[in-house]
Amino acid sequence: MEDCNVHSAASILASVKEQEARFERLTRALEQERRHVALQLERAQQPGVGSGGVGSGQPLPMAWQQLVLQEQSPGSQASLATMPEAPEVLEETVTVEEDPGTPTSHVSIVTSEDGTTRRTETKVTKTVKTVTTRTVRQVPVGPDGLPLLDGGPPLGPFADGPLDRHFLLRGGGPAATLSRAYLSSGGSFTDGTEPRDVPSYGSLSRGLGVRPPRGPLGPGPVDGCFTLPGRREAFPAGPEPVPPAGRSQPERFQAEPYGLEDDTRSLAADDEGGPELEPDYGTATRRRPECGRGFRTRAYEDVADDSGELMEERPPFPAVTAPLAQPERGSLGSLDRVVRRSPSVDSARKEPRWRDPELPEVLAMLRHPVDPVKANAAAYLQHLCFENEGIKRRVRQLRGLPLLVALLDHPRAEVRRRACGALRNLSYGRDTDNKAAIRDCGGVPALVRLLRAARDNEVRELVTGTLWNLSSYEPLKMVIIDHGLQTLTHEVIVPHSGWEREPNEDSKPRDAEWTTVFKNTSGCLRNVSSDGAEARRRLRECEGLVDALLHALQSAVGRKDTDNKSVENCVCIMRNLSYHVHKEVPGADRYQEAEPGPPGGTAGSQCRKRDDAGCFGGKKAKEEWFHQGKKDGEMDRNFDTLDLPKRTEAAKGFELLYQPEVVRLYLSLLTESRNFNTLEAAAGALQNLSAGNWMWATYIRATVRKERGLPVLVELLQSETDKVVRAVAIALRNLSLDRRNKDLIGSYAMAELVRNVRNAQAPARPGARLEEDTVVAVLNTIHEIVSDSLDNARSLLQARGIPALVALGATSQSVREAKAASHVLQTVWSYKELRGALQKDGWTKARFQSATATAKGPKGAPSPGGFDDSTLPLVDRSLDGEKPGSRDVIPMEALGPDGYSTVDRRERRARGSDPAGEASEKEPLKPDPGRKAPPGPSRPAVRLVDAMGDAKPQPVDSWV
Amino acid sequence: MLLQGHQLRDGCVQPGQQRVEIHKLRQGENLILGFSIGGGIDQDPSQNPFSEDKTDKGIYVTRVSEGGPAEIAGLQIGDKIMQVNGWDMTMVTHDQARKRLTKRSEEVVRLLVTRQSLQKAVQQSMLS
Repeated sequence: MEDCNVHSAASILASVKEQEARFERLTRALEQERRHVALQLERAQQPGVGSGGVGSGQPLPMAWQQLVLQEQSPGSQASLATMPEAPEVLEETVTVEEDPGTPTSHVSIVTSEDGTTRRTETKVTKTVKTVTTRTVRQVPVGPDGLPLLDGGPPLGPFADGPLDRHFLLRGGGPAATLSRAYLSSGGSFTDGTEPRDVPSYGSLSRGLGVRPPRGPLGPGPVDGCFTLPGRREAFPAGPEPVPPAGRSQPERFQAEPYGLEDDTRSLAADDEGGPELEPDYGTATRRRPECGRGFRTRAYEDVADDSGELMEERPPFPAVTAPLAQPERGSLGSLDRVVRRSPSVDSARKEPRWRDPELPEVLAMLRHPVDPVKANAAAYLQHLCFENEGIKRRVRQLRGLPLLVALLDHPRAEVRRRACGALRNLSYGRDTDNKAAIRDCGGVPALVRLLRAARDNEVRELVTGTLWNLSSYEPLKMVIIDHGLQTLTHEVIVPHSGWEREPNEDSKPRDAEWTTVFKNTSGCLRNVSSDGAEARRRLRECEGLVDALLHALQSAVGRKDTDNKSVENCVCIMRNLSYHVHKEVPGADRYQEAEPGPPGGTAGSQCRKRDDAGCFGGKKAKEEWFHQGKKDGEMDRNFDTLDLPKRTEAAKGFELLYQPEVVRLYLSLLTESRNFNTLEAAAGALQNLSAGNWMWATYIRATVRKERGLPVLVELLQSETDKVVRAVAIALRNLSLDRRNKDLIGSYAMAELVRNVRNAQAPARPGARLEEDTVVAVLNTIHEIVSDSLDNARSLLQARGIPALVALGATSQSVREAKAASHVLQTVWSYKELRGALQKDGWTKARFQSATATAKGPKGAPSPGGFDDSTLPLVDRSLDGEKPGSRDVIPMEALGPDGYSTVDRRERRARGSDPAGEASEKEPLKPDPGRKAPPGPSRPAVRLVDAMGDAKPQPVDSWV
Repeated sequence: MLLQGHQLRDGCVQPGQQRVEIHKLRQGENLILGFSIGGGIDQDPSQNPFSEDKTDKGIYVTRVSEGGPAEIAGLQIGDKIMQVNGWDMTMVTHDQARKRLTKRSEEVVRLLVTRQSLQKAVQQSMLS
């Protein structure tokens, strides 16, 4: 008892301090927010001003920043994850409970088991569980009965261990505390005194199990929530969650606590080799029912991100009900038992029942003086919040987030860990209010502090997972950069990437380690890297970050391990950082091409100027076309011999982003990876890099060709994934700024491009239709390559592009598509040389014009003059906003300057989870008949996706 | 191609999953685990006799040698390997999986596997 008083005194003190600290933090956060807002405003106003007006504000056609944002998909799942891993071990050590924070290693398991088995942790867990269970039964008897039972069900994993233990070990002490807390609330429960005389709290009520599976979490959390008013008296300090004086529900206290659990136990009971249940399943189960019932909403982020994951990892558990997660039961139990003793007055029934602690109580327990109680409360909270938006909201409303954030700095590792686990779940989801609330109470700096301090891998996973979750919320991105960028880079990215600042001669270059921590961290940086110019600048200039990412990617390519999430995240960061490099990088102006106006991605050199001349001349007359061809020829030679700049010292930091060497890396990824997001991002990176009108972009464009990247890209036009097609199409468009590339692309990509158009017009199968953005991107690419190139326009005819374009223009529901199609047609018609052929095919001018006229309005006349814009280098087209090609292709840009496209994309993806987006990814295995159907010209028989299936031989079986 | 889960939830042991820790056995020059694997994203999933979903390109345990390390550790035929030492195995080629399992530098491999029987058991327990 004494102990207890001391504790509570200390806790009051602590909570006062915490309040102060919180206030301070709030102030700081406020300040920060203000700054951030100011920045945003500033940025928002910039557009017009931006560098040379090129695209700082206006949508830039070329350099579309394709940010693949992926919302925190992994986080959520992960959140659960936390529970199982360490906890198990923990449990194992349970007996030792006193130090729950002890880092646990799987190995320990082995030791714990008697030599015979290295039976895996599961077993251990089981043991642990057993303990718990046992405890439960015995408690009534006395606190001493803690024998470990074997063969218990591996339920109720972690939480109970410590708590029970604690109580048991300590004798009445803690129990008393608890009970006091509980009872004092008085409200619905009779008199507070009653419970006290019941020191036998020992009985762990497993009561939870008894309730209907979805009990408190599911349908009616509210209902249950208020049953027990929080005990204010017990924890006077601090803002107590308001306990709405609900009705007490004594009926819920069940006499026989074991119900469900017993079942499970018996199920799992056969310890030897029989089915062993992982402790975690409670949590997981919860998700099952949802799947089963077709509710996928909660998991939307995942779904959105990579649809496969869901299925893969959540095997169809049809109509499984969701028992409460076992893990936390223990802790509850302790509460329950207390409660149980108190006959509830109001209860109509005499028989006391077990019940869950209500949310306010759980939150109040976060302030409990006894550390393990805090830890368990946090763990239980984590469980409660799992995929339960309602609970998450309530936790916020009850001001639970500041409590949890405060616990991140708690002296005990276990408490920190649990608190972080809860925060991770709470921070997951589309609802951004929790994220904001975490920020508002200084959550980000606290998490970062914890990351710096934590050596325990699980904690690091939790912290980075939480940060990943938080990073999906726009207003938090800069906060994370401000507080966490250095730490994330130096604590995680650099060490895990294998990159070494000063490579030791002796040591072999290290490979990247695709750890969860790395995955989470890269995901977080991926999200924040989309926050606009300032964010990009910060990331680029963060020492070692780009170097490390590049190293990681190179090692992925080297090991042909390019499909995983970490790689995807890294590429996405690289791509985002590559956006607008030509304008944003320090000293970029030194490399700008000589032509200030609309340089066609020209170098300042002579040959480049001639190139320009060629471009402009192109539209004028036949003769000029002829000459131009010649010029092009010369130019090509020049291009082919284009000397890459010699560097006196190795590039480092952000310079690495745009060195021609990266081309090979991206091409390797495009060749190797089977991850669509990675493919898209790699193509997007090339697109971004080839967009600028600076010297490096020129090199990049030439390098792509020299590295034989064009065929790789063309092949990807056949990808079944919409966004890959889109990114590739746009990249090709940028690449065709290089004259030689343009010719090659015209010759080799036209068939594929046209096929996509045809597919857009007449989708091979339902759901196969490309998205509008993609269609427009393809059309604009076609437009680009036929502009200024008679040969390419011929290719278009030969590829039977005209019927496809006309049909699309006539039938498309999309104004943008129709417009883009007619734009192409117009351009084609403008080649007088082709009119004969066109007319021979039965086309009339009207076909080309009518569409045009309607679409283009003022520019209806297909005079060459009308197309000047199309000869302009794409990069600069954005200057005149009305140019059709420019903004059409990059619709997301319209959302705002720089990074906002992300938002759009991400949300779309999230939304698309159930509908089309997913559907299209779900069936990828089926060969797409449509692809072959159109009687198009022969095209290379590259079939990226199907190839694998077809080509693969008999199943291989390898001994290991 | 189906984009399958690249990564398991960090450390999350889902129902029906379990961890198996295998200590490799030295056989002459080699370290062996004593089981064989099939599957992979470059393999034809329809030929996998163990998968329920015939598009599942995961790595499956196809054979377990008697008395070998894998058997001792409790690995069973038909187990689907989700992770090896924390590395995702649901999205790898056959060869990548093999290499991941046979790293010479690693004497112990920790697998995260799903087992049909486990899943069924879990299911049943949920339903009951």
